[in-house]
Amino acid sequence: MHDFFKSTRFKILLAFIAFLVGIMVYSVTKGGYSISGESFINTISKPFRTVSNSIGMKVETSLDKLSKAEEIYDENQSLKKQVTDLSEQLDEYEALKSECEELRKLVGIKEAHPDYSTSRFCKVIGYTANDPFKSFTINVGSADGIEPYLPVATAEGLVGITIEVSEHLSTVRTILSPDLSIAVKCSSSGDNSGIIEGSVMSAENGMTKLVHLRTDNTLKKNDLMITDGTSGLFPKGYSVGKVKNVDMDSNGLAAYADIEPCADITNLTSVFVITDFTGKREASE
Amino acid sequence: MRLKTTREHRILYIKTAIRWILYYIVIFAVFITMTSGTWRKPVMLVPVALCIAVNNNQYASAFTGAVCGFLIDISCGKLFGYNAVLLTIFCIVISLLFEFYLRYRFVSFLAISAVISYIQCLLDYKFYYEIWNYENAEHIFTEYTLKVWAYTVISSVFVYLLFKMINHFLMPKTHLTIEETIKSGEQR
Repeated sequence: MHDFFKSTRFKILLAFIAFLVGIMVYSVTKGGYSISGESFINTISKPFRTVSNSIGMKVETSLDKLSKAEEIYDENQSLKKQVTDLSEQLDEYEALKSECEELRKLVGIKEAHPDYSTSRFCKVIGYTANDPFKSFTINVGSADGIEPYLPVATAEGLVGITIEVSEHLSTVRTILSPDLSIAVKCSSSGDNSGIIEGSVMSAENGMTKLVHLRTDNTLKKNDLMITDGTSGLFPKGYSVGKVKNVDMDSNGLAAYADIEPCADITNLTSVFVITDFTGKREASE
Repeated sequence: MRLKTTREHRILYIKTAIRWILYYIVIFAVFITMTSGTWRKPVMLVPVALCIAVNNNQYASAFTGAVCGFLIDISCGKLFGYNAVLLTIFCIVISLLFEFYLRYRFVSFLAISAVISYIQCLLDYKFYYEIWNYENAEHIFTEYTLKVWAYTVISSVFVYLLFKMINHFLMPKTHLTIEETIKSGEQR
């Protein structure tokens, strides 16, 4: 041991340590900047370190997953449950929102027409299969006070009339059908009266027709047609549809107009039935 | 098919019960699809009723025809009983036809299904649109009646395959093949 301290090897090592200390002291004096050697090493090693680091991270993550699999699974389950709960809450919220909107519309209708008695908003259960005139079934019937031949509407406009009522279901004939005729007049002029009656061709496009118009009518595009209320089957002054086109009948004795219903009859989800209104004709009459 | 034991009888009853339950599940499922959506749809209950009629006796065929007919009336908004009467008659005729003259083969079923569903669609058009003199009623014939008929004929293929599968597993065999006869003879 004593010989070692006296040997040249010891002196060289000591000198090397001193050199390292010197470098250390020098790097301290650089005030945070790398010395050139360090920079060189860093530059050379950078791509390797990047690749190696990414591999290392992946391995660590994988090992982490394996070691924490149970914990992650539990967390996943709890999150799934949370998502389910939130989805349910969202569904409930959407249902409440839509109910609220429907009630708001109903209140609006009742305010505009205080003489109306209406059913609650009822769901359209389904359209009659292969019916060109889009008749449909609703989820209210005689048990809810519905009778045959009551007007069916949405907040936007008249849709049709109940034609067949069972205890909990009713079938509605729409204004696209040629079997339903409604006396209407123009809302702006209060004149230009005619009969709304569906036709095969117009029903194809979700439209209906206004027939028996006078040839000197003053109807123009987008005029709103409202019920006349003379038949006692429909309330007076309820929107039916807008004029899209006015033309002369082939016989030249009268004019007709294509009417776009205010309510989208081909795509209904909920409607209401007007059970009573001023001027209603009773079934016995 | 000769039934030898009580066990075979019991298996036959169970199979028959399951087969009829499946028939009516199919009928119900078809009815539900017919009442959903706004597109033009095949009247699939017609081939379903016919498929049951070709494999069963006249009573069962008539009853099934009536059930399917009532369901068509409900889903298509027709006079309740109108299609029931039609289908009952069709099913009885078809049952007799297949019992005495025809064999249950794909082509014969498809032909019968096409003819019967065409008659059903045509009568529907005649009674519900043409006789009321609707303007452009012929448009309904080309755009609805013929298309619905075509869809119904196409759907018969799937109905045939479905019932073929049900019958393959659950229908008692009416006759034995030569191999089966030899095998049963050897067992005895």
